[in-house]
Amino acid sequence: MAELTSFSYHPGLSLIHKIDARFKLFFIAAISVSSLNSSLLGISMLFMPVFCGFIIVRISFLEIIKDLYILLIFLIIVFAVRAFSTDGVVLYEGLVEGSVVSLRIILIALLGMLFTSTTRTADVKAAIDWILKPFPFNFKSRISTMTGLMMRFIPIIMEQARETSTAQKARCIENRKNPIYRTARFSIPLLGKIFNNADRISMAMEARCYSDIRTGLKLSSKINDWIALSVIVSICIISVLYL
Amino acid sequence: MNIIEITKLSHMFSNGTLALDNIDFKAKRGEFIVIAGCNGSGKTTLLRHLNGLLFPTGGNVIVDGVNVSEDPVRARRIVGMVFQDSDTQIIGETVREDVAFGPENLALYREEIEQRVDEALRVTGLTCLADARPHMLSGGEKRRLAIAGVLAMKPEILAFDEPFSNLDYPGTLQVLKQIIGLHKMGRTIIITTHDLEKVIAHADRLIIMKSGRIAKEGSPERILPDTEMFGIKEPCFSRMGLGMISWLN
Repeated sequence: MAELTSFSYHPGLSLIHKIDARFKLFFIAAISVSSLNSSLLGISMLFMPVFCGFIIVRISFLEIIKDLYILLIFLIIVFAVRAFSTDGVVLYEGLVEGSVVSLRIILIALLGMLFTSTTRTADVKAAIDWILKPFPFNFKSRISTMTGLMMRFIPIIMEQARETSTAQKARCIENRKNPIYRTARFSIPLLGKIFNNADRISMAMEARCYSDIRTGLKLSSKINDWIALSVIVSICIISVLYL
Repeated sequence: MNIIEITKLSHMFSNGTLALDNIDFKAKRGEFIVIAGCNGSGKTTLLRHLNGLLFPTGGNVIVDGVNVSEDPVRARRIVGMVFQDSDTQIIGETVREDVAFGPENLALYREEIEQRVDEALRVTGLTCLADARPHMLSGGEKRRLAIAGVLAMKPEILAFDEPFSNLDYPGTLQVLKQIIGLHKMGRTIIITTHDLEKVIAHADRLIIMKSGRIAKEGSPERILPDTEMFGIKEPCFSRMGLGMISWLN
């Protein structure tokens, strides 16, 4: 039985699950863009809807930290570099600048996590189809399918990475101190597995008559979507203009 | 009437390996056929020719009167294939969504898709798991989901590639019951396996493959005593001269 990560889709009937995928994509874009023009206080405010989202969906913060711990290690480095390379009073402006950059990255990662855990691949595909509708090119459907599939298989790739890592630990890879050797020994079998799986999946899809001409999902916005839109837009405006 | 007619089928991979060598094979509508052989004997390659996932480098594969090479999509509608690794066959985020994937590809109306999904879930006993996440299911349930996904496309022939591999005893029984139920409903069943014990009691015909060729073909009672010559374990009941005994008994 597979282990569920925070990046996996968590089936449910919560308010966040029911929001139209097009609105969710807009929220991600709006919050991400707002975070680029916000102060430390403004970014903190942008975290509010994200935290509320996780509480509504009932994904524990411990689980999130566990899944993002590599990113957190990376952010500590980013924070330290920013803190000590910013001009001005090092222990104040540097810390503020480092915090803003780190929080911005965490915010975007959490937004992505909330989106993938509450949105079905079929909804993502339908939303991207809708977004790409005005564009004239022919491979719109293919782009939306690829995006949907990519989201769908990220948790599986992460699970395979975890399995590969566990199998290597069982054979004492940790005794090898050379990081290049360890990276090569980890990534080559993992990439092999991913490409083999991709081959099998495409064959299975072909066996089930997959093509660009298929019955799609019809998205329809409801009152809750518009209420959520007004809340998010208000938060974004306040965080950019007033904080 | 024959629903599958294969004549002089050969398949050579791009690396020069001859996977299938001059295969002649016919299947009657409603027949239950088991294809056995060691790893690398060509069972899966043969199966993949039935719905145009592979095309012959020599010979013809005709399904329900039409050459598969001429219309592979039609062949895929007629021959539903259940792969050995269920995980890679599952596309949807929920059980219901995965079962709907095939009918959606047939561009059916949403009402008909829902009707077919409900029916496939009912037949495979997965109705209560309709909203579950497929990757959290047990091995047997995943295999049944793969069957449901194929059933929703209403195929006449069901081709199973090693359907019992990696399954525990209860999972094997669930899948076996499912396959026998589908055969009783009139579907043509083709199973590839190297483990005859579990399924052979229900088969009408046994085909043994070796090095890409059909080495032996006939009724299971007649062929079973010779299977070990081809590297396939003879079922215990056959060894002990007990006649055919189903795993369900």
